[in-house]
Amino acid sequence: MTEPLLSVKDLRTYFSTEEGIVRAVDGISFDLMPGERLGVVGESGSGKSVTAMSIMRLVEPPAGEIVTGTVTYHGRNLLAITEDEMRAVRGGQIAMIFQDPMTSLNPVYTVGDQLIETIMLHQDVNKRDARNVAAQALSDVQIPNAADRLDDYPHQFSGGMRQRVMIAMGLSCNPEVLIADEPTTALDVTTQAQIMDLMLRLAADRGTAVILITHDLGVVAGFCDNVQVMYAGGIVERGSNDDIFYRPQHPYTWGLLGSMTRLDEEQQVRLHSIRGAPPSVIDLPDGCRFRPRCDFATDRCAQELPLLRKIEGRGEVACHHAEELDLEITRAVGAAG
Amino acid sequence: MFAYVIRRLVYGAVTLLALSMVVFWLLQKTGASPLDRLKLNPRIQPDYLASLTERYGLDKSGPEQYWIWLKRFVTPREASIGGLPSILAISAGVAYSVLASRFIKSRQFAVRIAKIGAGVLIWGFVLFTVWNRMNIVLDWGDSFRGDGPVFEDITLAAGASFRLGMTALFLAVMIGIPLGIYQATKQYSFFDQLGTTFSFVAFSTPIFIIGVFLQLGLGLYLERWTGVKLFYVAGMTSSSYESFTTLQRAGDILQHLALPAISIAAISLAGYSRFQRASMLEVLHSDYLRTAKAKGLPRRRVILKHALRNAMIPIVTLISLDIASIIGGAIITESIFGWPGVGRLYIDAINAVDYPAIMAVVMAIGAGIVVMNIVADILYGVLDPRVRYE
Repeated sequence: MTEPLLSVKDLRTYFSTEEGIVRAVDGISFDLMPGERLGVVGESGSGKSVTAMSIMRLVEPPAGEIVTGTVTYHGRNLLAITEDEMRAVRGGQIAMIFQDPMTSLNPVYTVGDQLIETIMLHQDVNKRDARNVAAQALSDVQIPNAADRLDDYPHQFSGGMRQRVMIAMGLSCNPEVLIADEPTTALDVTTQAQIMDLMLRLAADRGTAVILITHDLGVVAGFCDNVQVMYAGGIVERGSNDDIFYRPQHPYTWGLLGSMTRLDEEQQVRLHSIRGAPPSVIDLPDGCRFRPRCDFATDRCAQELPLLRKIEGRGEVACHHAEELDLEITRAVGAAG
Repeated sequence: MFAYVIRRLVYGAVTLLALSMVVFWLLQKTGASPLDRLKLNPRIQPDYLASLTERYGLDKSGPEQYWIWLKRFVTPREASIGGLPSILAISAGVAYSVLASRFIKSRQFAVRIAKIGAGVLIWGFVLFTVWNRMNIVLDWGDSFRGDGPVFEDITLAAGASFRLGMTALFLAVMIGIPLGIYQATKQYSFFDQLGTTFSFVAFSTPIFIIGVFLQLGLGLYLERWTGVKLFYVAGMTSSSYESFTTLQRAGDILQHLALPAISIAAISLAGYSRFQRASMLEVLHSDYLRTAKAKGLPRRRVILKHALRNAMIPIVTLISLDIASIIGGAIITESIFGWPGVGRLYIDAINAVDYPAIMAVVMAIGAGIVVMNIVADILYGVLDPRVRYE
């Protein structure tokens, strides 16, 4: 068994709001293997982006705080090292691509300036060499006339092209881990496919491990080796692509899969129910967090928080009744499909 | 850009023309006459009043009076631009501007700065050359109060207002903007709350309160208690100013300038710090700042490079318009501190229904706003590459 590249243990990130403490990420653990492509799915507010921001240590106090947990990377706990040490990791060894390419680039500096800045920060090169690296990075993401376009400003690029620039910026320092936070959500469908193909190929070429955060199950199916499903700050199910898509075990995953064609409608309903009961320390429901919305909930679900456990021949799931529900879910998915 | 500036200047001239018409019309509609006060004086003979009425053209129709004023206003008393050297210098300036805007197209920041910088240098040289050679004496009409062409009055007053206004603005900008930036980066800290409190107190205190308290505290009691006269509470210079050495003069100017400048600056500083704080906070929460942090940039660089330039864009407009308003003088402050600025000139002119003087102040303020708006838009284009003027 190879050593994991990145290992997250019992990560908890809380936000203080007027209504109380929001447990955005509440005790999640997972490993990322070298070169692995891990999909993290869940609806808005499930804690997927906060997980990424916590790994990058970009959660800003005083509002947000990483309460406990470790993020082990090359033997170091990223949550315990100094800010200066962390800066060398950020962008250099672990890079991140954000959701909205229209607003993620600084409008008043040229694309080249922003790329060169990153490269010079993490690599020991002079400005001229950095410019060459930047031009290469742009041409790697298939931007025509890369060397000339370095002098253009972000507003002179289309949305898809800007996301290519973001990918180029992310990969320009050859990171070992690339965290892509809904990289195609803001793009139109044809561009989405191109961007995902491009990212897949570049990551595979370089052996970069990718954490793909998305609410789009279709994107995950085409892109990832493994998937973990998040719900209300915790991981409810984890497994290989096949495990999740063909043998889902958690009622929530099943619900997600069943609602794929009417994802938006379903999402609005669920988002509302999460908002309606803001999880504060005091009134956090005992037991399973999905219980209020689960058709299969029993008394046990109300008392005992199900932990993630491995099911023989399948993935891991955080549900007390995974074995019993087996048939019903399979039938239900069959019926939905 | 050059074509853009010329076009804006033409629009500006049209705006000023419209402004002058509206204000002149409004003045006549008030029904007040410059002779009202004289009429109340029983010793003044009716035929003298009649001669004045004729001299000021008050017997003519409104449009006619306007036309007479306008002709006087736009006709300089003397005008020569200084012969061949001036013409050559202006041609050189125009040639650079036309060629540069036609051939230097790169949008790179350094190139744009160099292009604009060269333009500023060349036009600076042009102005210097022409200024030393030209002989243009504007007139703007004679004051009804009989102190000669109002242009002279307004230049003197504008000089005084400018000295006060620019000093106050300088203080406000140099303190208010860094304060706002610092507050934004330490949002909700003790210092931020302190700054916020100060801003609200300063902003909601009327300037006559601040001014009078400064006069009492730093002007009067400081001298009474310590015996040192640090600040003067009125006027621009001491009466014996002419006999001072250069160093003494500088000191004397500062001693007079300090209190009124601080009064204006305190309020304006509060505004700037609030505005800068808000603008900076907005940028600090933007996606591209998150990107900058995710790249591993040091916090200092994130703030000073990526945040500041974006946050300064709206502030530049604010400063430019503030400079424009300086030309109008600070009416209340100038009254409190006996400062011979445009504000006082304006009040005096209105009280005397002195058409040419009122119009002169209005036109000076109007011209200032027009010019500073153009300057603001140009600066906007320099700071923000998304804005381009073709």
